[in-house]
Amino acid sequence: MMKPVYILSATAISPQHSFDPAGFLQPVMSSDNNKLFVQDPDYTKFINPVAIRRMSRLIKMGISTGMKSLQDAGITTPDSIITGTGRGSMNDTEHFLTDMIRMNEEALNPTFFIQSTYNSINGWLAMQTKCTGYNQTFVHRGFSFEWALMDAQMLLNEAAQPTTILAGCFDELTDDYFLVKSKVDYWKKSPVNSLELLNNIQTKGTIAGEGVAFFTLSNERHNASCAITAIKMLQNAEAEEISQAVNEILTQSKLSPADIDLVITGRNGDAAREYIYDAALKNIPEDTTIVSFKHLCGEYDTSTGFALWLANLIAAGKEIPGICITRQGTNGILKNIILINHYILNSVSIILLQIPQ
Amino acid sequence: MAENIVVTSIGILSALGLGTDANLHSLVNNKSGLRHPKHLRTIHSAAFLVGEVDLSNDELAALLGIAPGDNGYTRTTLLALAAMQDLLKNADLELLRKESLAFINANTVGGMCSVEDMYPDFISEKQDGPFVKYIDTLDCAESTLNVARHFGLKPLMSTISTACSSSANALILGARLIQHGVVKRAICGGCDALSRFTLNGFNSLKNVDKTPCRPFDQDRFGLNLGEGAAYLLLETEADAIKRGATILARFTGYSNTNDAYHTTAPEPGGKGAARTMQGALDKAGLEAADIGYINAHGTATINNDAAEGKAIETLFGDKVPFSSTKPFTGHTLAAAGAVEAVFSIWCLQQGMALPNLNFSTRMEELTISPVVQLVKDLNIKNVLSNSFGFGGSNVSLIFSAA
Repeated sequence: MMKPVYILSATAISPQHSFDPAGFLQPVMSSDNNKLFVQDPDYTKFINPVAIRRMSRLIKMGISTGMKSLQDAGITTPDSIITGTGRGSMNDTEHFLTDMIRMNEEALNPTFFIQSTYNSINGWLAMQTKCTGYNQTFVHRGFSFEWALMDAQMLLNEAAQPTTILAGCFDELTDDYFLVKSKVDYWKKSPVNSLELLNNIQTKGTIAGEGVAFFTLSNERHNASCAITAIKMLQNAEAEEISQAVNEILTQSKLSPADIDLVITGRNGDAAREYIYDAALKNIPEDTTIVSFKHLCGEYDTSTGFALWLANLIAAGKEIPGICITRQGTNGILKNIILINHYILNSVSIILLQIPQ
Repeated sequence: MAENIVVTSIGILSALGLGTDANLHSLVNNKSGLRHPKHLRTIHSAAFLVGEVDLSNDELAALLGIAPGDNGYTRTTLLALAAMQDLLKNADLELLRKESLAFINANTVGGMCSVEDMYPDFISEKQDGPFVKYIDTLDCAESTLNVARHFGLKPLMSTISTACSSSANALILGARLIQHGVVKRAICGGCDALSRFTLNGFNSLKNVDKTPCRPFDQDRFGLNLGEGAAYLLLETEADAIKRGATILARFTGYSNTNDAYHTTAPEPGGKGAARTMQGALDKAGLEAADIGYINAHGTATINNDAAEGKAIETLFGDKVPFSSTKPFTGHTLAAAGAVEAVFSIWCLQQGMALPNLNFSTRMEELTISPVVQLVKDLNIKNVLSNSFGFGGSNVSLIFSAA
């Protein structure tokens, strides 16, 4: 059993106003075309003006979010940088690819190629923070961010000294990506208002989203408002395996379902995926509060990053926004949170969070 | 936590061929796998040499019992499947299915080799056609999931992409997962297929050599790209002994650090590379003098070889034979770390240092030169293998005699 990981700070760029957490959901942002794009903060505060001109949007988003997370934690140079991304910089990949096809392999701009490399944000963050330590990028689809957390937990358990890790995730939506994935039925056939997503569970598909989230993690509690205790990943799991996995994660941490004060679910409106949450919630008492988030950020490989950011915000004392609550419970003091998420291609993750009392 | 990790099976596919015998035969006979591409369709095929796997997609599919044609398998996945099939020849498949296992894969551009041919259809108004089978193949996890499914494995899976150090990182992660008790065994490595995307990417950076690459040579110009896949089965020494498995090598040292210097170029003094190699020595509890052979990253780019050469000189002086095997295989990118880990293990087992082909003139900034002829009958206890990539990503691995 590994020791918990403490979250010292959390930062997110999302389709909602979230970069400044004080202004979260003011106002609530929504869309009517099955696409949710992020709200851009002022990137010039975090990246030098010469470098920023050639940077694509995901690179800017990644660097700014990472730097702000460290700033909020009061750390200049972390010991390690670990990230997860399903797709890396889609804009750069598409740009280089379509230029290559259009220009018949002649006169191509290397910037797009370099920025399309999955670990380019890691490289930039290492440079900006002068972090020469362990540096890693996971690209395992719906588990990319879960692996970043898992690796961080292992690394923090290996460390003999107080250690800090900058861990994060990033994925972006493009119009071409939306079109391509519509051909394999990722999205709902007819447009839905994003805020009505979770009331549209009779049809298949979901809505597309994007986002970036970074966390400063430590093996020391400091003033952490939230700790990651256990992470579980299930590929192609049947309902029964999902229920069992929730029980296992609780048993390992010597908890019972009644100890769970809050469940955060990655329900995404897809009729074919509701069974995941029915299974996961099977043993959770009726009076436990349930929160959902994909109507706010859309579906993408690393949406667990947004969910963890939201969990950390609530753990830090923010009142649970009404717009997230899908079932209001009667729990008292918030101690244990379980975060259950899935991604389109049959991956389910379960993360247990505990609030240091 | 301090369990010894050992390698008990390997699988490899490169421009030198499929499996241990084919690869080893070429290496000890100075036979390079570089030639003009015959499978990769590019306008540059007459200009550039590549380390292309000889088998076509249909030939690979036939080896694997998969239907030919537009079967939804990218070349990346087919290369991975063939290398895994090679590994499984000397492994107990039932055991791998029964006991806890991780499969840690690595690649740099997923199924781009197929997607780049079909992308005009992807973004057209067309809803149907053979391209639909390839829509979910662009991301890096696709090959990982396909390999597990094909061989009926249900491992804990992950995929890493840190450019040219990717599969070296996969090996480190696998070892750590075993040491933490998360899994009992781990199959780790990487795969990458040649693609126009990558060839044109490196060409736009103007560091692809039109002649066979010349690592550590004063007149080097750049790299030749390659493709391939390699996997290593890791487990604890205690488990390997208990089940009577042949131990090929012990995996004793590793280090992952970052240059924090530039997006693509290494720190020119080689400080980052030296820090990584020193980190691996520290992890293994070894001195520089304990290393018997270094398989360098040695891409033959101006920047890499200057930095890496300087770092080797600083740490090892002229005491340790080193070479780059990129002139044999081309730079297989995400697969390189695993391919060269396998080569390094053969050097360890057979007491040899592989030749650095195409070397003629020592670099003016160095006092050391690579091995140019195969050296045999060495008493090698430990080998070191380097893999460095874009984003300042540096990884060194150390394997020790069983």
